Formats: sequence, C-alpha cells, structure tokens
Amino acid sequence: MITTETHVDAAVELRDVIREYGSKQARVRALDGVGIGFARGTWTAVMGPSGSGKSTLLHCAAGLDRPTSGQVLLGDRELTAASERELTALRRKEIGFVFQSFNLVGSLTAEQNVALPLRLAGRKVSTKEVRAILSEVGLGERLRHRPRELSGGQQQRVAIARAMITRPSVLFADEPTGALDSRSARTVLGLLRSLVDGSGQTIVMVTHDPAAAARADSVLFLSDGRIVDHLTRPSTRQVADRLAVLED
Amino acid sequence: MLSLSVATFRERWQLFVGAIITVTLGVALVQSSLLIVVSAGDHGEAIAVLGLALGVSTFLAIFIVSSTFAFAIAQRRRDLALFRLIGGSRGQVRRLLLSEALLLGALGTVLGVPVGLVAMSAQTSLLASLGFLPDSFSAEWHGWILYVSAGIGIGVAQLGVLAASRRASRVPPLEALRETGTAAKVMTLSRWFVGILLLAVAITLMSISTAVDSPNGAIPLSINSTLALALGLSALSPVVVPLVGRVTGSLAGTTTLGGLARANLRDGVRRSASTAAPLLILVALVIGLAGTFDTLSAGAQRQLADDVHGDLVAAGPVPPGTPGVASASAEYTLSIKVTTVSYGDEETDDVEALAIDPAAYQQAHRQRLVAGSYADLHGLAVAAAGGDLGSTVRIRVGGREITPRVVAVLPPKLNGGPEYLLPRDLVPPAALGPARSIVRLQPGADAGAVAAALPQPVSTLDDWIAENDSAQDTLNAGVMKVVMGLAALYAVIAVVNAVVIAAGERRREFAVARLTGFGRGQVIATALLESSVVTVTGLGLGWLAALATLIGISGVAGTMVMPWGIFWLTVLGAFLVVGATSVWTSLTATRPTPISLAGTRE
Repeated sequence: MITTETHVDAAVELRDVIREYGSKQARVRALDGVGIGFARGTWTAVMGPSGSGKSTLLHCAAGLDRPTSGQVLLGDRELTAASERELTALRRKEIGFVFQSFNLVGSLTAEQNVALPLRLAGRKVSTKEVRAILSEVGLGERLRHRPRELSGGQQQRVAIARAMITRPSVLFADEPTGALDSRSARTVLGLLRSLVDGSGQTIVMVTHDPAAAARADSVLFLSDGRIVDHLTRPSTRQVADRLAVLED
Repeated sequence: MLSLSVATFRERWQLFVGAIITVTLGVALVQSSLLIVVSAGDHGEAIAVLGLALGVSTFLAIFIVSSTFAFAIAQRRRDLALFRLIGGSRGQVRRLLLSEALLLGALGTVLGVPVGLVAMSAQTSLLASLGFLPDSFSAEWHGWILYVSAGIGIGVAQLGVLAASRRASRVPPLEALRETGTAAKVMTLSRWFVGILLLAVAITLMSISTAVDSPNGAIPLSINSTLALALGLSALSPVVVPLVGRVTGSLAGTTTLGGLARANLRDGVRRSASTAAPLLILVALVIGLAGTFDTLSAGAQRQLADDVHGDLVAAGPVPPGTPGVASASAEYTLSIKVTTVSYGDEETDDVEALAIDPAAYQQAHRQRLVAGSYADLHGLAVAAAGGDLGSTVRIRVGGREITPRVVAVLPPKLNGGPEYLLPRDLVPPAALGPARSIVRLQPGADAGAVAAALPQPVSTLDDWIAENDSAQDTLNAGVMKVVMGLAALYAVIAVVNAVVIAAGERRREFAVARLTGFGRGQVIATALLESSVVTVTGLGLGWLAALATLIGISGVAGTMVMPWGIFWLTVLGAFLVVGATSVWTSLTATRPTPISLAGTRE
C-alpha cells in the first residue's frame, strides 16, 4: 500500500520533493527529498513530531504549496507545473479538504455550505444530492442549521459532506479530530473509514492522535523532513510507541 | 454569487455599517445639492458653494468606502482563503466582493433618497441664512434624480471596492490552513505608486502656486495640492504612521502599559493607519482651507494697509479748504457693466469700480502701477486691474455706453476689490454711489477736532482697514462652514468605523492579555493610550500637509496665517471622538470572561 518507491496506481505521488523556506541565512528545509505514492482507495495517516514537515507534505501534495524542487502528481497530472487557473479547477473536481477548525462559512446553512463547491464550479446543484450526502454523514435532520447552531462533531461532519460533494479523487484532512471530544472524534473517524471501505475514497490525513492514526490503513512517520518509517494497520499502542521514540 | 453576498452581509453587517452610512450620506448630499443647483439658476454663489460640496462629498464617500472595504477584507482573509480552497476562482472572489458592494450601494441609495429630502431643506435654509439664496427659494423635485442617486450610490460603492477586491483575489488558499493567517502585507505596490505619484503632484502644484501672482490662480492650485498631499500621505500611511508613531509613541512613556501600547502600535500597522488616515485628511482639509482663506484675507488687509496712505476715513466728500486737512481723496463706489469679447462671445459682467480724482487719489494711494500712469487718467480713460495697456473696454455706466482706453494697469487684488478706476468726470453724477474720503492731516493738526468737521461717520485708517476686510469674509466663511462640516462628518464616520472594526478583531488579544494578568481597566487604558498616539500621529501629519499648502499660498498673499483656533478645536474633537469610541469598544470587547474568548478563533 505505502511504498517509498513510485507507485503504479497512486492517487497522489510525490517524487523527491524538497521544500525550503526562508532566505539564505535562515534556510529551513521542511521537506528533504520525500518520495511517496498514496494508493487509490486507501487511508494514510501522516505523523511526526511538530516541525517534522507533515503539514508541508500535505500542502505540497494538495497543490497549495509549491515544492522547491521535485514533482507532485495528482493522478497523471503534474501539480508543480500547473497554473493558478488549473489549480482552481483541480480544487473544484479532484481535491477535498477537511480542517481541524471545520472552516464552514458561518453565514450559510449546513445545506448551503455543502452545495457551495458545486455552485463555485458552476454546476447545477441538485437538492436531492446535497440532502443525500448530508444524511450519509448523519445530519439529514439539520439541513437548515447554521454552523454555530451545531456541535463541533456535527460541524466536522458537514465539512466532510462539503468535501465529498464533488466526489474528489483525494480527500486531504488536516487534524480532523484535533478540536473534537473523543466521542465526536470516534464518529468522525468512523465516517472516514466508511468512505474508504464503502466508496473507495483515498484519504491523506495529518494527525498527532495515535487513536486516529490507528483507524487508517497505514501510518507514515516523518522526522526532520524525511520519511523515517511506516506501519501497516498498526494498533494505537504501536503508533504511540513509535511516535514516542521519534519525539525523544 | 449574490445570494452568498446576501448571507455574508447578514452575518457581518457590523463591518459594513460605516460604509452604508457613508454611501447614504453621499447619495443624500449629491441628490440635494444637484436639485438645488438645477433650481438655483442664476444664483452663482450658491452654485459655487454647492459645487464644492458635491465634489468634496463624492470624493470623501469613495475614499471612506474604499478604506472600509480594504480594512474589512483584511479582516476576512481567512474566509476568502477558504473560499478559494474549496474551489472559488480569483474572478469569483472579486465578483463576491463586487456584489457585496452592490448590495451596500443599493441599501445606501434606498436610505439616501429620503435622507436627501431632509438634507435639501437643511441645505436650502443654510444657504438662505448665509445670504446665497433668497429666503423664498425652494428647490423643485425632479423624477430623474432617482437615477442619478442610484448611480451615485452604486457607483461610489463599486469604485470603493475595486482596488480592495483585486487584492482580495490574490489571497493564497493556503492561508485557510494556517493557524494564524500570515499578516497581509499592508504596503502594496499600488499604494507606493499612488502615494508617491500624489506627493509628486502635490509638490508640483505647490511650487507652481508659489510662483503664481494672482489669487484666482493660486487658490485652486493650493486647494488641489492640499487634497493631493492629504491623499498621498494617507496612501503611504502604513509607512508614515508607524514611523511618526515611533516618535509620538514616546509620549506613551516607559511604563508597562506604555511599552505594551508601543509594541501593539508596531504590530497593528493596518489598524493604526486606518484610524490615522481619516484624521489626517480631516486636518489637512480643514486647516488647509481655513488657513488659505485666513492667509488671503490677512494678505488683502496688508495689501490695503500698504496701499492706503492717510490718517482718517470719512463717509463722504470733504469740502475743499477744511481746516487741518492736507489732502482728501474722494472715492465713489459704483457698479458698472463691462462687456468683454472672447472667442466671438460677448459677455457682460457687473463689476465693482471707483470714481476718483486722479491727483487726489495719487496722494492717498502708494500702490505701484503695473504699467501706464495716473497722469493719463483723464477724459475717456480708465485704470484696470489686469488687461492690456492701450486696449479699450466697453463699459456701461449710469445708462451710458462708453469705450474708454486703459491708460494704467493696477496690480491684481487679493480681496476682489474694485477692478476699475474711472475719472470722476467720466461718470454721470446720478450713477455715483456712496463716497468715502481718505484724509491726510496737516502736520500738528488735532485729529479729533478735524474729524468732528468731516462728513460722519469718521474712522481712523486702521479701524477702517480692519472693518473693510470682514465684509469680504462672509462668502469665504460660508464656503468654509459647508466644506468643513462635511469633512468633519465624514472623518468622524471613518474614524469611528476603523476603531469599531479594529476592536472586534482584538477581542481575543484582549482576553489573552487579561489571562496574563492584566486588569480590565489596564487593557482599556492600553487601548486608549494606543489610540491617543495614533490620533496625535494623524493630526500631526495632517497639520504638516496643511502647513505645506499654506507655504504655497503665502507666496501670493505675502503673509501666512495658521488658524490655531480651528486647529485646537479639531484636535479636541478628534481626541473626544477617538477616545470615547476606543473606551466604549474595548469595554464591550472585554465584557465576556476572558477564558470564554481566549479559546475561540477569530
């Protein structure tokens, strides 16, 4: 599933990606030659101590940040060379995002938030489709609520529905359970699991919670901008132990 | 896109209140001024005042809407980044903001039309009380004005958002993912460009105005350079305000609170610049205009004092041989019609003139002629301010049409006094207006005794000069009231708006300060200290802009007057408004318990 070699059927692939920040004197290498393919229909968790480069990896993989050198491929398209216009089109069709802080548009109802990506893409919004996906995440009763009238877990589920409405080839999640209590976190993780198992969704998730990582198919460990380890279907205990070693 | 704008609008209306009030006011003033102008027909002075009011209110409305939007958009960077992240294109971000502005403009128009009707009656009675319109005047309503009002309301809003929306569309989507959005660069390339360009324009205008010798040319040059300078400085305010703020910030002292206030000022460049800019414009406009008029009237007074040579002024001709009188120049004021032909069009104006006895006049006036000589001023001849020596003018005086030759050219007058001197015998006695005599006493004569024998009332020359000037000032004072009132109104809206928006952004910051051990009073004191430093900075920069203008106008006036009374009044008002708003908003922002705010985002 995870290989440090290039993968034949990868949804996203990074080839020898280097990302440096800052000017000459204070140059920081956030990613130091990362090569990885995220296979279609799998859920990968990216872990590591703070400053290990996991967020940068997510940003580069999603085409939000441009690598200093190396290539990023989404399917067969090269993101590193894409124009702003092409990247916008990709965000509409191929990429979905879920954030730690939900980031719903506060002025819109749950239903309107979910429909927003379709409207931005200029596609006809079918109410049925929107409602179907909201009931899929268990919020069929809360269509007309605004974000502030929903709990954190419910907001995150609306955010997942919003990310999934365009049927993206990859769903990127940045600490999706970081702001949730453990019960809501379990619900959200269960939902992500069912997306992978049920419809073959590819998910790349950054997290520092071993319990969340243990729900993924595989876990990737980063340290100082390099991939240092990966585990397949680990237990929470295994993930926690591995992380403890890295953080020492 | 419109429905999304409606939703944002409903959610974040506090950000837009200031802009809506501004557009409403702009629509109301333009509408009422236009309706009065259309009905005023031949009341030239009223039209001039209204024209100035029209220009100033449109200009300030666009300025305030655009600064409000720039600030509001800076507050929403994260939202806009998110919008981009879920698939919004740059064009869609722009359309989103433009349709927000459309809503704002529409709302401003709907509110502005009825407010405009109120403004119309207020403006009419103001103009009537200043004597620019007859008391019986009432402006007519025209249906087409609704289109103009809608055009102004929506146009001002769209123009105001244009630059900000371009910047907003460049917000990178990645910012939505960052914990704290990277602080946006406040000083953009276009700000540098506009700022430096306007400063260059201001300096050019100023140096031209010091070289121009006629007030008719110098006044508009000087007013335009004030505007350019004020706008240029406000475009550069993110650079200039912190720089000057470092100096004025030392007023905050070296206490803990003072130190924090200074650090906050360095950090919140956009906040300080947004508050200081309207104050800068206010002071530059008010002091620049008031100072220009004061300087000109002081210059006119000096010109008169330099010119007139005598001891007493009597209200009528002095009989020859009056004891104690060395010489007396009787001067009759009269109104004549002068017809000039330019580009084939004949134009006849009512002009103020003096009928004089050239020999006596020369005794009482020291003013040097630009060309020609008083000795030639007899028969069919006149002396004229401006014009060419030897040319003829068509004059209608006392029902008689004459075509005298210009034999002497007078220097231009600052106070718009008599433009023509006619020999006394050229004017039919019936056309002569009230006379005055400038009297020189014989050496050793008793002024009191001589005065008693002269046509009453008699005043000393100094009193007469002081009195002569105040009449001329009425028009200026009226114009000043209108323009300064408008500028002050807009500046207050803009400043209050900036302080309110800024405080909303700082709820969390205040909460963190309190959790670190600050008392609520200390937080409020720090905010007050900060806004005081910003106020001093804005006022100081505005004063400098005004000073530069006055230096420009002093070239033609030969003197310079800084209107300190109005300046200190403006300073007092600014501190009251900023201080009260600052305390009120920080009180509101610190009302909830700090812990409930420190955890929340935004």
